[in-house]
Amino acid sequence: MISHELKTAILGALKLDDWELAESTVAAEVPGWDSLSHVNVVLAVEKQFGVRFSNVEVLRLTNVGELQRLVNSKLTKQK
Amino acid sequence: MSHISGDVGTILQRWCDNASKWPDSVAIVHCRMGETPRSWTWGELIRTAKLYSAALTKNGIEKGQVCAIIARHNALLYPVYVACVFAGAIPAVLAYPNPRLHPDKFRDGLEGMGRRSGLDWILTERALEGALQPLLGSGRSTIRGLQFPFEGSEYVEGVGSNGQREAVHTACESDPLLLQHSSGTTGLQKPVVLSHRAVLEHVIEYGKFLGISPQDKVVSWLPLYHDMGLIAALHLPLALGIPTIQIDPFEWVLDPSLLLQAISANRATIAWLPNFAFSMMADKIREEDLENIALDSWRMVINCSEPVRYDDQEKFFRRFAPRGLRRDALSSCYAMAETTFAVTQTPPWLEPTTLAVDVRSLSKGQVRPAANGDAVRVCVSSGQPIPGCHIRIVDDECNGLGDQHVGEVLIKSATMFDGYRNYPEKTAAAMRDGWYLSGDYGFKHGNEYFIIGRKKDVVIIAGNNIYPEDLEAAIHGLAGVIPGRVVAFGEEDPQFGSERLSVVAETALTEEADRRKLRMEIIKAGMDIDLTITNVYLVPPRFLVKSSAGKPSRSANKERVLRLRDQSSMTTQSGEMG
Repeated sequence: MISHELKTAILGALKLDDWELAESTVAAEVPGWDSLSHVNVVLAVEKQFGVRFSNVEVLRLTNVGELQRLVNSKLTKQK
Repeated sequence: MSHISGDVGTILQRWCDNASKWPDSVAIVHCRMGETPRSWTWGELIRTAKLYSAALTKNGIEKGQVCAIIARHNALLYPVYVACVFAGAIPAVLAYPNPRLHPDKFRDGLEGMGRRSGLDWILTERALEGALQPLLGSGRSTIRGLQFPFEGSEYVEGVGSNGQREAVHTACESDPLLLQHSSGTTGLQKPVVLSHRAVLEHVIEYGKFLGISPQDKVVSWLPLYHDMGLIAALHLPLALGIPTIQIDPFEWVLDPSLLLQAISANRATIAWLPNFAFSMMADKIREEDLENIALDSWRMVINCSEPVRYDDQEKFFRRFAPRGLRRDALSSCYAMAETTFAVTQTPPWLEPTTLAVDVRSLSKGQVRPAANGDAVRVCVSSGQPIPGCHIRIVDDECNGLGDQHVGEVLIKSATMFDGYRNYPEKTAAAMRDGWYLSGDYGFKHGNEYFIIGRKKDVVIIAGNNIYPEDLEAAIHGLAGVIPGRVVAFGEEDPQFGSERLSVVAETALTEEADRRKLRMEIIKAGMDIDLTITNVYLVPPRFLVKSSAGKPSRSANKERVLRLRDQSSMTTQSGEMG
């Protein structure tokens, strides 16, 4: 399940009004989400949740579901 | 025509000589995020390349055949590339397909490229076997087979020391060394053939101009299918015997601080970057990623492959000066594949000259210093011609223009390409009396050249050439778009430090829901050929202005659409007009 906050951060970084984001969605399926805009998405998600990803964590992500789980694990550790 | 008198030799001899002189010195450092860097010494590189060359020959690759190399960042990329040259084949490094590129479009592009360039073999990864296999049986393809040298040692099994002795073919200076393709995804690529002599002579002369010494080290995240990555960041250091540190382009774009980490860790001295990278690194790198980074060894950060933007260079300097970046390390270069690489370059230890000029005069072809109240454009020098290169600035009738007059840049180079492969009509169109018509606009000021725009419609995004025709062709057939009534062009994005792709399409659709759907279909058509469209402008029928050839004019329609957008309160972020 992709949270509303994560979706907002991703779509905001890509300047999209709306786009369906499922766990299995990959960047290549989303308009404007290419290698050059990926860093904007990552920075927007970090800012939205107040977390920090390492470059290896970012490199290993393959879909939006994995990004959601990474965010969740960071938030759990913060508690 | 040649600048260096006498024999310059071949790249092949040069590499072998370097391996004899410095067998234990590092030639290439291959970096992967989270892994220990893999260093290739000269001895190892050449020994491995000979082994692979023997295997390529054993597997049917013959002298003069073109080998496309399609692989991700892989430590074997370098010995396999060298092996192709040893085998007498002509390597052509091509971009690895982005996941968003539709497999049919990927194959179509390769098939078109093959028919033009005469691609004989594809050296690639097993991961692409399924996507590429249909090319072999299509009957329309020139491709003889796929080979998989990047999967570890299996490719060279059974190739013994006898094979190694036979693995290096002889070459002469005029033999083709490599093939580079301009960008473009369908059949519009122009394959540039460069000889051993052109590449070797070029990197020797360019290296002298840069003052390359044994203490220099190059760092690069640039892809090897790009001339800046291949010639400047790989061939130049290999020919001159200095190390090159190679970073994965996909990893760099995820974490732009990787370049600075590599410079700091290796005390590296030279890097070439397209303009957008200056902006991206200044804006996107976190302060905590700069801890323990020292950039005082960096003596040349060379802005090349895109128009040099003053604001981005300044932003970059301000951000990294506290880490030791010197102002006189800022540098710029004007380069193209057709002249092997560099045409002009600013001298080492000299920040590029800037000129604040009046925008209105500039648009009329005159360079006049800006006065109070003028709209100002700060133009950045691309330096002076490197030895062996000559430049003329001409008007539309090819008459020479004096200093401070804007015109097309014509180039004559000692290391000019041997023409577009199998494309005599394109070669003839690009040349006039031995001068290459660059299609770029610029002016001369003193002994320096300033490049300020383009006559051609090509769009340059993050250093890559995009042909609007490719995108227009992908959109023409969409339901809702009036056939033949689409133009694509580049729009400056100062924040990005590069251009963005925009599309203007005529449509008779009036319902907002239908128009929203059409905009999305247009964006998806771009995604299918791996192009990101930022703005879609939907306009009513008969909106587009035609050129004298009867086709919608890109430049005239770009000007019209942007003017209307800037004037109109109806404009929305997604480019609604009508």
